[in-house]
Amino acid sequence: METIVSDSMVQNTNQVEGRAVPEKTLGEIQVDNPRMTARNVNVFYGEKQAIDNISLDIGMSQVISFIGPSGCGKSTFLRCLNRMNDTIDICKVDGEIKIDHQNIYDPAIDVVSLRARVGMVFQKPNPFPKSIFDNIAYGPRIHGLAASKVELDQIVESSLQRAGLWEEVKDRLDQPGTGLSGGQQQRLCIARAIAVSPEVILMDEPCSALDPIATAKVEELIHELREQYTIVIVTHSMQQAARISDRTAYFHLGKLVEVGDTKQVFTNPKHELTQDYITGRFG
Amino acid sequence: MTDRTYQRLDPQQAAERVKASINLRKRKETRFLWLGKTAVAIALGFLVLLFAGILSKGIPGLFQYYVTLDVQLDARQLDPSGQLTVESIAGGDFDGAILTSLYEALGNPEGRKAKREARRLISSGSSQRLMSYVLDNPEQLESMVSIQFAVDDDVDTFLRGLISRETPEADRRISDQLIGYIDALEAEGRISYEISDYLFFGSASRDAEMAGIRGALVGSILTLLVCIVIAFPLGVATAVYLEEMAPKNRFTEIIEININNLAAVPSVVFGIMGLAIFIVAFGMPRSIPLVGGVVLALMTLPTIIISSRAAIRAVPPSIRDAALGVGASKMQTIMHHVLPLAMPGMLTGTIIGMAQALGETAPLLMIGMVAFIVDVPAGVTDPGTVLPVQIFMWADFAERMFVQKTSAAIIVLLAFLISMNAAAILLRKKLERRW
Amino acid sequence: MNDLNDDFFRHISSEFNEELEALRRSILEMGGLVEEQLRAALQFYSTQDSSLLSKTDEIEKKINAAEIDLDEQVETLIVRRQPIASDLRLVLAVSKIVRDLERMGDELEKVGSLSLECFMSGSDVGVTEIQQIAEQVAKMLNESLNAFARLDLDLAREIFQREREVDKVYQSALRALATFMIEDPRNIGRILNIVWIARSLERVGDHATNIAEYVIYLVQGVDVRHPAVNQNSFE
Repeated sequence: METIVSDSMVQNTNQVEGRAVPEKTLGEIQVDNPRMTARNVNVFYGEKQAIDNISLDIGMSQVISFIGPSGCGKSTFLRCLNRMNDTIDICKVDGEIKIDHQNIYDPAIDVVSLRARVGMVFQKPNPFPKSIFDNIAYGPRIHGLAASKVELDQIVESSLQRAGLWEEVKDRLDQPGTGLSGGQQQRLCIARAIAVSPEVILMDEPCSALDPIATAKVEELIHELREQYTIVIVTHSMQQAARISDRTAYFHLGKLVEVGDTKQVFTNPKHELTQDYITGRFG
Repeated sequence: MTDRTYQRLDPQQAAERVKASINLRKRKETRFLWLGKTAVAIALGFLVLLFAGILSKGIPGLFQYYVTLDVQLDARQLDPSGQLTVESIAGGDFDGAILTSLYEALGNPEGRKAKREARRLISSGSSQRLMSYVLDNPEQLESMVSIQFAVDDDVDTFLRGLISRETPEADRRISDQLIGYIDALEAEGRISYEISDYLFFGSASRDAEMAGIRGALVGSILTLLVCIVIAFPLGVATAVYLEEMAPKNRFTEIIEININNLAAVPSVVFGIMGLAIFIVAFGMPRSIPLVGGVVLALMTLPTIIISSRAAIRAVPPSIRDAALGVGASKMQTIMHHVLPLAMPGMLTGTIIGMAQALGETAPLLMIGMVAFIVDVPAGVTDPGTVLPVQIFMWADFAERMFVQKTSAAIIVLLAFLISMNAAAILLRKKLERRW
Repeated sequence: MNDLNDDFFRHISSEFNEELEALRRSILEMGGLVEEQLRAALQFYSTQDSSLLSKTDEIEKKINAAEIDLDEQVETLIVRRQPIASDLRLVLAVSKIVRDLERMGDELEKVGSLSLECFMSGSDVGVTEIQQIAEQVAKMLNESLNAFARLDLDLAREIFQREREVDKVYQSALRALATFMIEDPRNIGRILNIVWIARSLERVGDHATNIAEYVIYLVQGVDVRHPAVNQNSFE
């Protein structure tokens, strides 16, 4: 029987590149209407280069996930987006990162206000050893976001509600935040991040310390938050990336190998390295 | 080529070998355990010995012998001008009133020698006591009152049994006649053994029965206050700067090394430095708590800095990250998050440093806090002394009673130190629970 | 049985629930299209109104589009949700039902075009037999879709019963049609076509039975196909 595969179909099959890391990122780096853009970003820890010429757009009101093997630079790149790498002395960042067309390294931008616009949730839940109320209220207080105690109460309540935590803690706002369960603590940290009304929320493996149910609740929360915030999430779990993100970016040895629509990356990745990683063909 | 000399053990063989080694291991562990227990027992033994010695000598020092006399308070004799003020009383004849009642109690001895002996029974500070009594209780004038007066220190020593009747009179500080008087008073029940109010409320004195630690205690407290006020903020601020804000370069390393070394410098050196700088160069007066406090502060500073740095380092970086992530500036992160969490450790280190400073003698001797100060210092610029120095001075004096009082003062000092350390431990327990 | 149905939509992730709901809706819609085709044929047999069969083409196109859409939904669900347990069985079952429905669509298209040819000439020889088969098969299709929608094992059981009925009817129809052919050899061509119609209808019944088997797999996790080689049985 003759093969009935036509020429046009052949073009659709996977053009697999060689196994070398590509010079140019495959897939679509750019999006329409990006919230943040990064161009030609290089990061060095002393002599060692951690990020090699990465350019990427972060789309507005979308979830983009960074995946890749350990040490590939995804967390480093994430921390560039809110200049957390400034706290590490030997870390040097060059390249251009913009939020709403403003360069975040511009001396006119105060890093403190940048971090109010680009919030961060960390791998291990780290609530302040203060009361639940004070945890959420701390950010608005130092940034002067509330004009009165009433407003502050409102900010706290709405943040906790949006984080899906209000019903569980509304009767014990004065109890220490560290007394909550792991999953609740992480949602508290998310509420704390959204209390300062950021535009972007960065999440560094937020569920890796949580059990499956807590993880599912946080993922559901991320799904609800995406309408209002742009979310960038670093994750070790490809299943998680497949579940919650709109776009996926695959990092390898400090380079951005491929970025694209999540479904496309996971059903038909353009680069062999991406395919090998997500199918578990190399460690 | 594979080396075939290593055979993998099967679980059976391994289990047997483990079993064989168990006895040897148990023996080693038991030996080590006993070694540890013995060491602890020896240490405890020495501690018990130390405390037994101090307590056995010191507790008697907390008490003193008093003689109760009935004194007729004659207004004309005691307050000639009748105004009941300190000045007008100064002209009164208190000694006379006391001696009168003393002679009466002794059955009116005759002859100058007898009277002189009788006078030696009672403390020379008794008139002071009577004066304060009259001032406090003016309504008692013209009546007869019973007052307790301290006995003279030699009499006190005799009453404790430290001077024996068998010693020939020439070798004794107490004459037979005096002994006779003492016996007589004892028979009447006038001699009593009470807690010494002189010890706690009296000041330095050459007379052992009147000597007290009040002045030294106040001086110690004032000195410590100066020390804390200077050392704590400076120490905390330095620790914060070195840990959080100083750039990691050669210069900072040198500072750190120097601070660590300073912690090991003998305290006498600080005293010499204090003498040279504050007293000679700046011309400040000697023997004042202010200078003493500054010297002690300099001495305690390295300890505070080192323990504060450790406390700051113990604050997990995740808290700092969280604060920075929410948009706090470096200063806000330090003030709102790091310092409160490090405070228990800092306070503990400070209190321990203070307890050390409380017991320091050498540096304070160097700046002259060895002067004989009678008045209680009212402020940091008044001359004063500190408890350890007082103890040191008393240790020099000859009278036996001073031995007791010295031990008693040592007990007070130790109690002070133990309570400060206990406070440090309690504080740490209470504050550490929070996270 | 209804609790299982509710359970499918109780994931913490509301998006997952929505995706499963959409999947279920899509497959039932596709089933509805197939039912529409069969209904058109049935009505034609009773009213001889040829306009009824003109829509068959359109419906066939919709069915093919639904197959592509459903396959994509299944792929997306597997990639994104990595379903396991009952979710996995649902997705696998749906992916198989899609294929059976699409085949039914193909068979019914043949039925439609052949029916137009055979029964337009006014002759109603063989109509009754075909009608009988078609009615039974329509019931089977309806029951199988309901069994899936309600996860109703009893209904699935009934479908197996009905299959045996359809078999009997089919056999007797074949005998009747054979008689017709012998009676009037001029009709052989036409009657042969009617036999193909009967066979296609019987095939649609087979596919409905398959759907019932998938429903059992979905609900009980037991594979009851091919009893000759399969240990599992459905009591």
